[in-house]
Formats: sequence, structure tokens, C-alpha cells
Amino acid sequence: MSGPHVAAIGVDAGSTTCKVVAVTAEGGVAGWRLERGLPRVEEQTALLLDDLLRDHPVATGRVPIVATGYGRRLVRRAERAVTEITCHARGVFHATGHGGTLLDVGGQDSKVIQIGPDGRVVDFAMNDKCAAGTGRFLEHTAARLDVPLEELGPRSCAARREQAISSTCTVFAESEIISLLAHGVPVDGILRGLHRSLVSRLVAMVRTLGVRPPVTLSGGVAQNSAVRAMLTEELGVEVRVPAHPQLMGALGAALLALGPPGNGTA
Amino acid sequence: MTLPAQVTYAMGYGLVGRAALWRQRRREERGIRARWQREQDGVVAPPLLASARMKELMSRHYLQARYATGVRKVAWVTSGAPVEILQALDFLLVYPENHAALCGARRKAVDMCVEAEHAGYSRDLCSYARTDIGTALSGKAPVTRIPKPDLLFCCTNICQTVLYWYRVLAHHFEVPLVVVDTPFLFEAAQPHQVDYVKQQIEAAIPIAERVAGRQLPFPRLRQIVASSKQASELWLAVLNRAQHRPAPISAFDGFINMGPIVDLRGEPETVRFYETLLAEVDQRIAAGIGAVRNERLRVLWDNLPIWYRIGWLSGLLATRGVSIVASDYTYAWGELAPMMDPDRPIESAAQVYLHPILNRSTGEKLRSMRRMVQDFHCDGVILHSDRSCKPYSLGQIAQRDRLANDVGVPSFLLEADHSDSRAFSEEQAGNRLEAFVELMEMRQ
Amino acid sequence: MQIPTRAEVIGAARQRGDRIAGVLPIHYPRALLRAHGAQPIEIWAPPRQDPTAGNALFQAYACAVVRHGAALLLDGPGRDVDLVLVPHTCDALQGLGSVLLDFVRPPQPVLTLYHPRGRRPADRSFLERELRRLGERLAEITGRHPADADLHAALDTEEDANDRLARLFRHRDIVSLSDREFYALVRSREFLPAETFIELADAALPHEDAGTRAVPHDDRPRVRLMLSGIVPEPMSIFDAIDAMGARIVADDLACGSRRLYQRTRGADPYLRLAASLMSGPPDPTLGAPIAERADHLTRRMRESGARGLLVYDVKFCEPELFDLPQLRQHLSAHQLQMLHVEFEPAATIAQQTLNRIEAFVEMLQ
Repeated sequence: MSGPHVAAIGVDAGSTTCKVVAVTAEGGVAGWRLERGLPRVEEQTALLLDDLLRDHPVATGRVPIVATGYGRRLVRRAERAVTEITCHARGVFHATGHGGTLLDVGGQDSKVIQIGPDGRVVDFAMNDKCAAGTGRFLEHTAARLDVPLEELGPRSCAARREQAISSTCTVFAESEIISLLAHGVPVDGILRGLHRSLVSRLVAMVRTLGVRPPVTLSGGVAQNSAVRAMLTEELGVEVRVPAHPQLMGALGAALLALGPPGNGTA
Repeated sequence: MTLPAQVTYAMGYGLVGRAALWRQRRREERGIRARWQREQDGVVAPPLLASARMKELMSRHYLQARYATGVRKVAWVTSGAPVEILQALDFLLVYPENHAALCGARRKAVDMCVEAEHAGYSRDLCSYARTDIGTALSGKAPVTRIPKPDLLFCCTNICQTVLYWYRVLAHHFEVPLVVVDTPFLFEAAQPHQVDYVKQQIEAAIPIAERVAGRQLPFPRLRQIVASSKQASELWLAVLNRAQHRPAPISAFDGFINMGPIVDLRGEPETVRFYETLLAEVDQRIAAGIGAVRNERLRVLWDNLPIWYRIGWLSGLLATRGVSIVASDYTYAWGELAPMMDPDRPIESAAQVYLHPILNRSTGEKLRSMRRMVQDFHCDGVILHSDRSCKPYSLGQIAQRDRLANDVGVPSFLLEADHSDSRAFSEEQAGNRLEAFVELMEMRQ
Repeated sequence: MQIPTRAEVIGAARQRGDRIAGVLPIHYPRALLRAHGAQPIEIWAPPRQDPTAGNALFQAYACAVVRHGAALLLDGPGRDVDLVLVPHTCDALQGLGSVLLDFVRPPQPVLTLYHPRGRRPADRSFLERELRRLGERLAEITGRHPADADLHAALDTEEDANDRLARLFRHRDIVSLSDREFYALVRSREFLPAETFIELADAALPHEDAGTRAVPHDDRPRVRLMLSGIVPEPMSIFDAIDAMGARIVADDLACGSRRLYQRTRGADPYLRLAASLMSGPPDPTLGAPIAERADHLTRRMRESGARGLLVYDVKFCEPELFDLPQLRQHLSAHQLQMLHVEFEPAATIAQQTLNRIEAFVEMLQ
């Protein structure tokens, strides 16, 4: 119940997951919450905020809140809404201590952000129109193959052969996989191939922007060991993952709420 | 010209290369003859013997290109450009579209497209352009090495995309770009349009001369036009032989053997090649040999081929006795032969280069297709809805509708792309083709 | 400042005995149509037009300008126009023009105009003859036979209107209009008679004799953007940009600045018309070299203080897409940023598009 006082809060109302992070005046993480995103964004974020504040009291008065993510404008208690690009850059810069290329792969979108030496966004690219370059691609096909999410990475890494998946579209990939299974191709090989498809798309997006090491991976998919390994292999540089990859957006929003200059907003 | 380059050219191409390619042709011919001996029951006839010679000619051309830098001036040209003046000035002509088609056929186009996409070029752009820009930017040579241009020569009679594409190349290579802009013929060609094209060709001459470092020899120009005319007439004759039943050659033979008429038109060897090809086609007719052994149905193919699936498509249809006997794409390089006039090379060029099928109206294209359906006795039409080629593809919906309902010939649109296999779904295409074949069979 | 609606303009034109010409993008001789008693009403991928009739004729990879334009003519208010003009702007509009002429065969005459892709003597003489041909067709259709003096007068009026448009863009900072209001005024050029546009523009422009500079209507610090593309639809994009804390201070739209033709002189009205159409800023559809476009954009951005170029494009637009990578490189070398987004005209703007623009604005702050 006691502990460092909360000076600011960031809310990342993503479409797949909803996250809140509370920071101290020094920018340290005081506490956080993460849960599956629900359609009623305002309700969910309000409950999460209340829950967080019960455990982590504020220093004085009203705590500043910045919201990011798909549902950011629905977080009434937030004083400001900032895009997840700016917030992720800020969060990753703070968590890792450096800029470089950030690849964030979420449930419904993926983005590449060039972070400058001061934590500001230098350039960015997004894939938010096609599921094939996002976590959804893996989730969906894993569900069809009846493989639990947490086994995806390990099983893909351990697979002896890699089955190439040629379909560029999630829906067509599904038909292709059914056909492959019917021909007796082992599941693990297919899993590895699926990961390869996703990673190829991510690499294409990164290449379009240009690789500027160090390369950081964030978002839910960052926890997948196979994605991380394949990215490292294809980009030819080490790919680092911060301690809480899913919280980078909310952390960045919280830091922006703290308000020191040079944090990317007017 | 630097001595080493001349020496490499003479040795690499002149001495070693040509001999090696000749030997390769002999080997291929032997292989083809052996196949004829063996394959009495295949659904498709073995390749034309002449295709070995075609490969030799095209390979020689690319080999010359490989060694050309420092020896000959290089011009990159569009497939419909009035290139005779450049040939007369001894430019080594590179056709980026042909190179891209080769990449497509060898399944290397996607890699080059990806290079272009990484550089920021949209996937919605023509896959020939993306293949070419990707090759130029990456410096990779998936199929063969192409020399940098000294001059870019672009004619808009095939599309406006080449204008945007060649501007990109001009910016990248920092070389002069000559544009011959051919007004689109919504109706019959008018005097001011012909004058405009003529003036542009005339204006191109001093620019080309400056780059070539020599003056345009008109007697040579006339010779080249005469050769082009002859070759085009022969090509047309070859294609028209497919009106015969069974068709001795298919549109696939056309796609495979069209290289010389596009890239080497004007050279004497091209004339001889098509004479040889015509003779072989006539032999097939005399022997009653069809490109498809048991030809039961005949089809017209509209638009560019699907370069990376020629074998698959040919096989799938041939097993059902379907022969693609005509293509308005290959026909384009033959049907303009009557307009070519060696005595008036520039005036006739102005007419010729205004009239390729892609520069004529959608109504004109329908008339051409109807004529071909009739002349080639077609039971159906496949319209390849090529997402890379708007001038060819926009209008197909209305054309298909008229063909199916007014002319009464089964016709369908096949969605794909000429070089980018990512825009092609084999399952979908295969299903639709099979349904189409069944439709044609039911109507027999 | 009330801008008349299209319906009002059409009603007024018909009242004075004029005809209505449905005109597709981009460049065409307004003066020639007006001199023949035809009021141009331009058709720029109207988002509220249901594209079904257009989708039935053209594949999905044809841009919305073609599909929505075709639908408007076949199924929407365009059915009532007296004539259609399809300039040959690109391969897609080539397809539209040809399909209308050969297959749809609407009751109204369909006219085409081929733009030469250069500025050489041969291009000029071709365009002059092409415009004469268009003039002959217009005379046949409308029965009007304007004298040279009438053509000159019509062209003078259009040039006066162009001059107002140029001044609106030049004085953007001190024109007291929001971006949305500003562009509503700019875009009214697409259907208003030149005389009416001049009146409205004069009302919005700062008075020359005011002496001191007018105060900008909004002195909050804003991210200054240049807007490029074909057409900005839906117009709510400007509200969104405003809400993000940005402002459009320079323009490179096909429906806007790319049609800022220069004043012309000379005895022959057709030579003047041709010269006019060949005098606009660099345009990829007319074959302008990429270096010229790059220099023009960079200069305009410097002059206006724009730090970012927002390229807001209709999807599937080849002339736009080919230039982007090299433009981006050039801008980057001058420390200027570029964002490219694509849209399909609809009643609302996709969240993803707004998100990207917002991130871009944040990046520039």
C-alpha cells in the first residue's frame, strides 16, 4: 500500500489490451495494470485507473493523465490525447536509455519508429490495414491450429523444418495451412513458416524506413522468442526487448503527463 | 571509349560469347529433336525448334548489353518507342520491360519489386516499373547485368506509367530523357496528332546524335525500317497460321518467341529468324501437328501474359484440350506492318507509333477482339485483368460483357498481374479456369 | 461569405441560357467552355456519391476519381449535364473517357482533350490545334460561335480569377478563414463562374489599402504544413488537422495550386489558351521533371514556413506515387519531412489515416 507516490499516469487504450502505468516524479514506474481490451473503453479505463490509484496513492491533488492508443479520446479523465507513436518512442527511450529503431508489434497494428538521440520521433511507418503484419495473424492461426499462445515461440524455434507459407493474406493463409495439414506437414514446421511470414513483413516495413541500431522490439508480440530470433537473423543486428514490452505506450504517456520540456508535445 | 572495354567486348561477346551461345543453341536443338522422338503422347507439342535460335539471339543481345559500357552508347527504351533512329545511330538498346518480363518468367521479379518497395515505391505501381526500379536501385542482377543508360527514350503509346517511370530513371541516372508523346486515339487519328508525333521524332534526332556522337545516316535508317517491316510481316504471318485447325502454335509459343520482334526489330537476323519460324510452323500444318495434341476448344487471350505461370496455364488448359490460339498482345507487333514505309521512315513512324492497340480506344480493342474471335475460330475469350496495366485492363468489363452477350462467346476476367506473383492466387485462378472450360464445353 | 451551391450555380446558368458541362480532373480551358456558353462543373471523386455504378464498369484498382466520377454521371446528378469533358490526365481517366464514348454512350456528348506531356514547341503547336478542335466541337454542340474578342474576354476573366486564387494562397496567413473555410472558397473555383469567384475572393482577401498587416485570426502556435495531392476529401479532413494543432500554409493540390496558370498575351486566343494551360506549376501528370517539382515544393515550404509536407492521395494514383521516394529524399536533404497517406473517398476519414497525420504533427512540434 505504501511506496513511491504517483505523480502522473498514462493510459494506453489499445484495441487488444488496455494498459495503465503510474510513474513517480522521477519517472520510475510506481505500478501498472494490463487486461484484455473491452468495447466500453471509458468504463474499462475508469475502473483500471480507480484500481491502480487504490493501491498507489497520489502525491498531491489531482494527478495528470495522458491517454494514447486507439481509444484515447474516450478516456475522459485524461487531460490530453497523444498518438501511440509519440508515446511509444518516449516510453522506449526512457526504459532503454537510447534511441534507434523501434519495432512495435501489437494485436492489430505494427509500427516502426525512428527515435532520435533525445527520445523524439524522427520518422515512422505503420501497418494498420492488414492483419498479416500483426499479432492477430499469429493469434488467429494459432487458434485454428489449437496451439496455446505461449507455446508459439518455443515450438517454432524448436521446429526442425520450416514450411514456407506463400499466401500474403491471413484468410488465404488459413486455407493454405489446412491444405498443408491435410498433406501431413508437421504443425511445428507450419508454425515456423507462419512466424517467417510475419517477420518478413515486419522486416520489409523496417527496411523501408531504414535500420538504425540499436533495434528495440515492443508490443505483445515481443514476448514471442521466435519472432525476436528471426528478426535478429533477418536484420543482422541484435534485437532487444525491454522488460515490459507491452507497457511502453502507457509508460510514454505517463512520462508525457509529467510534463518536462522536449517531450514531443507543444 | 576505353581500350579495355573494347577488348572485353570483342573477347567476351565477339569471340567467346557468341561461340558459346551457338554451341548452346545446338545443344538445345538436339534436346528438342529428342523430345519430338520421345513424346508422342504428350498433351502439348514439344517446343518449336526455332525457339533455340530465339534464345541464342536474345542471349547474344543481352551479352552485348553486358559488355557495352564504354564501347557503345546505351539507350533504355519503352517497348513501343520509335527506336529506328536510335538503331541507325548504333545505340545498344535495352528494353527494361523485356528485362522485367524475363525476371517475371524466371520468378525473380518479386525480389526486385521488394527492393523498389523498400525504397518507397508503392505496390500499386506497375510491376514492370517496380522490377526495373528495384534492379536499378539495388544494383542486383537476378537474370542478367544491364548497362546504365546514356539516353532514356520513352514513348507514351503503351501507357502513361512509362512517363512517370522514366522520369524517375532520368532523375536517378542523370541522363537526358527524350519523350515521344503519342496522343491517345479516342477516335481515328487526326492530322494534328500525326504532325505532333512526327515533330517529336524529328526533334529527337539531334539529341540522340549528340549523345551518340555521330550523325544519323538516313540510308541505314531506311534499311532498318525495311527490315522492321519485313520482320513484322513475317511475325504477323506466323501468328495468323494459328487460324488453322488444329492451331500449329499457341499464344504461349507467341509469348516465348516474341522477344526478337520487340527487342531486335530492324536487324537482318530477326528477319531470317521469323522466316525460319514460319517455315517450321508450315511444316507442322503439313503434318497436321497441333500445339495442343487433342485440340477441342480454342481461346483468345486478351492482355499481357502471366509471365510466371505460362507453363502452368498451358498445361492446365491443354489437358482439357483447350488451346489458346490467339493473343492481341503478340499481334500488336505484327498488325502495324502495312503502315511501315522505308521510303518515308519518319512520316510512317509517326503513323505506326500512334496505332498500337494500347493507344487505340476501348471500342477499337473490342472490334479487334471480335475480329480475332472470328478469324481464329475461338470458342472463348480469357481477359487477363492485369492490375499492373490500366490501359489494357480498364474497359475489359464492358468488353467482356459485349463478347459474352452480343457476340455470344463465353468470356471471363482473370484477375492477376503480369510479373508480381503475389497478386496471383493459383487456387482461385485454377478454379475459375476450370469453370470456364466447362462452360465452353457445354456450349459446344 | 456565402458560397452558392452547385445547384444554385446550375440553376442560374440554365436561366441565362447556358449549358452545363460535367468536367473531370485536372486541366482544361475554362475560358473556352464559358465562351461557348457552357458552365463547367468539376467532378472530383465526390465522397457522397455511391460508386456502385462506377464499380460495375471499372476494376477495383481504378482510382475513386474514375469510379465515383462515372457513378455521378451515370447514376447521380451528373445525369443532367449537357455535355461531359474528360481531359486525358492519366491512364485511368483515359479509360473513363474511352468507355464513356464507346460503351456507355450517354445521351450527352462526351468530349476529350489530350494534354501534351512537355513544353516544347511541338507540344505548344499540338495543344493549340487540339484546343481548336475542342472549340469546333463545342460550337457544334452549343450552337455558339464566339468571336476572337469573346474568347479573349473570357480568358481575361479566368485569368483575373486565377490571380485572386494566387493571392489567396500567397496571403494565406492573413486571410481570416479556418483551413476548411479557406479550402471551401478555393474549391468553389471548381463550379463557380469566374466572376462570382472573384467577388468572393475579393471579400476574403485583405485590403491592399489597409496599410498595416491584418492580424492572423489565430495566434496559437501551430504546426505549419504544406498540403499536396489531387483532392482533399472529405472536407472534414481540415477540421481534423485543425484539431490536431496544425495549419495548412502552402498548397500543391491538383484542384488548387497546380492550376495557377500565368497571365497570357497575344492576338491569337487559341495560342493564349495553349500558353495558359502550359504555364502552371510542375505537375507529374504533365511530365514535369522530378527535380522541378522538388525545387518548387522546397521553395514553397521555405517561403511559407511549412515544416512538413502532407501528401494526401486518392488510392491508386500513379502520377503521385512514382514521384514520392525521390521527393522525400530531396526534402529530407533540406531538413523537411513528408508524410504520405492514402484515402478512399467516404463520408468519414479512416481512423488510421487520422492517426498517422496526428503522429506526424506531433513529430513536427
